[in-house]
Amino acid sequence: MRISVQLPTGVAALFGESARRRRRLESQIATRLETADFDEVVLPVVDYLDPYRDMLSEQSRQELYRFVDRDGEVLSLRADFTPMLARLLAPRLARLELPLKLFYRGDVLRYREEHLGERELYQIGAEVLGVAGEDAEALVLRQFLELLQLGAPRPLGVVVGLAGALDPLILEHSHGKPLRLAGALLRRERAVVEAAHPVLAEVVRHGRPTDPDALGEVGARRLKRLIGLVETLDNDFPDIDLYIDLAEFADQATSPELRAAVGPRAYYDGLVFRAHGGDAAWHLGGGGRYDNLFRHLGAENGTVTPVTAAGFSFDVDRLAGGMS
Amino acid sequence: MRLALPKGRNLTTALDALRIAGLDLADLESGDRRLRISLPGDVEVLLIKDRDVPLYVSHGIADVGVVGSDVLEETGDDTLLVPARFTQGTSRLSLIGKSADAMPSPGDQVRLATKYPVTARDMLAARTWGAEIIELSGSIELAPLLELAELALDIVQTGRTLHDNHLVELETIRHVAPCWVTHRAAWQRHRRQFNDWLDRFTAAGLVSAGLTATGSEGETA
Repeated sequence: MRISVQLPTGVAALFGESARRRRRLESQIATRLETADFDEVVLPVVDYLDPYRDMLSEQSRQELYRFVDRDGEVLSLRADFTPMLARLLAPRLARLELPLKLFYRGDVLRYREEHLGERELYQIGAEVLGVAGEDAEALVLRQFLELLQLGAPRPLGVVVGLAGALDPLILEHSHGKPLRLAGALLRRERAVVEAAHPVLAEVVRHGRPTDPDALGEVGARRLKRLIGLVETLDNDFPDIDLYIDLAEFADQATSPELRAAVGPRAYYDGLVFRAHGGDAAWHLGGGGRYDNLFRHLGAENGTVTPVTAAGFSFDVDRLAGGMS
Repeated sequence: MRLALPKGRNLTTALDALRIAGLDLADLESGDRRLRISLPGDVEVLLIKDRDVPLYVSHGIADVGVVGSDVLEETGDDTLLVPARFTQGTSRLSLIGKSADAMPSPGDQVRLATKYPVTARDMLAARTWGAEIIELSGSIELAPLLELAELALDIVQTGRTLHDNHLVELETIRHVAPCWVTHRAAWQRHRRQFNDWLDRFTAAGLVSAGLTATGSEGETA
């Protein structure tokens, strides 16, 4: 047998300072979360595929590492912590004392053809359950920004948006092809979006409409509240650039028509955010609010207590890349 | 800001766009063979192969790039933003054969030479005939001429190469155009600058309207 140091594409071994850097940052984040009353949960790296089947788009199905167990069950390696946590907690919610603040850490594995070196990511994340919805959003975003400052490269930026905020405009002005228009928004295809509607064109250009009322009553209320939250956090975190960009999350649909086609990455239904740092193209972490995920993964018989849920995660090695 | 420009057929369009954006390109047009060129205004240009542009941009090595929609469709990188599709330097991705009757009939199994295997597989999925895809890296036109394959799938710009080699364009599969691409983090960091440049492209008539960035009619998000 030939011995080689070659590893499968997309995974890495950490030695020396790289390993120490990961553990140091992981430890700092875990300590901060414990100090803020988050309890750790340890989740398995393998789970049944079946509970998540109807949440999967074709693309996300292809990203999963799947295999058949000896008893014939289809299993998958963990690609995301949040849905697994939601599946395990949803049936227990009635017996749990809320609010609940949890954190987790470990590897997630996703097959991405075009992202060499990024198939195994070491994440640490936190979830808040049972805090009144918009307070939960403010709480997790503030916690996220505090932890982001621990290690990330500079300059730091966080893009914030609202899942589903553009759905009514997309559905009304897409001439029967809502996914195509949502995709054009996501890719900032200016000509396509300008041809669809001037308000959407403003969103591509500036991240949000000049007049929040253009999003309708509900959308305007949500956007105004987001603007207020961002202004507050801008003052509290002067070293982090906060951008409101609704187009960035055009795929985080909440309408059933759009949601059915977008798949599991669309589990957010409120605030959504992602961080980036330095000159890097990748995200350091992100999160948002996902009340519906709990209903979806445990409420089939209607007995599950409705719960508000929000959380975030960091890719630790990306975040650690900025540590001196 | 770092720009990834393609060395091939799309370079002329890329340079025209940068001129319209107001960049001083004197250093870039000096004719030397540097691949990494600094321009006034803290801008650096990388000259790379068209096919490598998406990789350089999606990995954050470059903030912006110009790349053909044919390459974007082939690589299928869904992380890139495509704010503009240029009207200049357009071409088409077409099926090519030795004669007008080279198009296969239903049930036929042929060989298809191309450097676009992903696009070819997509195209074949909707056909009543099948093909073994032979992946080549260049001079695709030679394949039907020398009977390595019955058909070729390749870029046709003016049609002169086909004419000179006695080949026939059988069917247009995609309209192709150079595209302005960036990644999500760069979009947030340079939004004001990008909007200014994109406004200039539009005012100069360099940007097309209506089609999706890749020219596709597909219903994908």
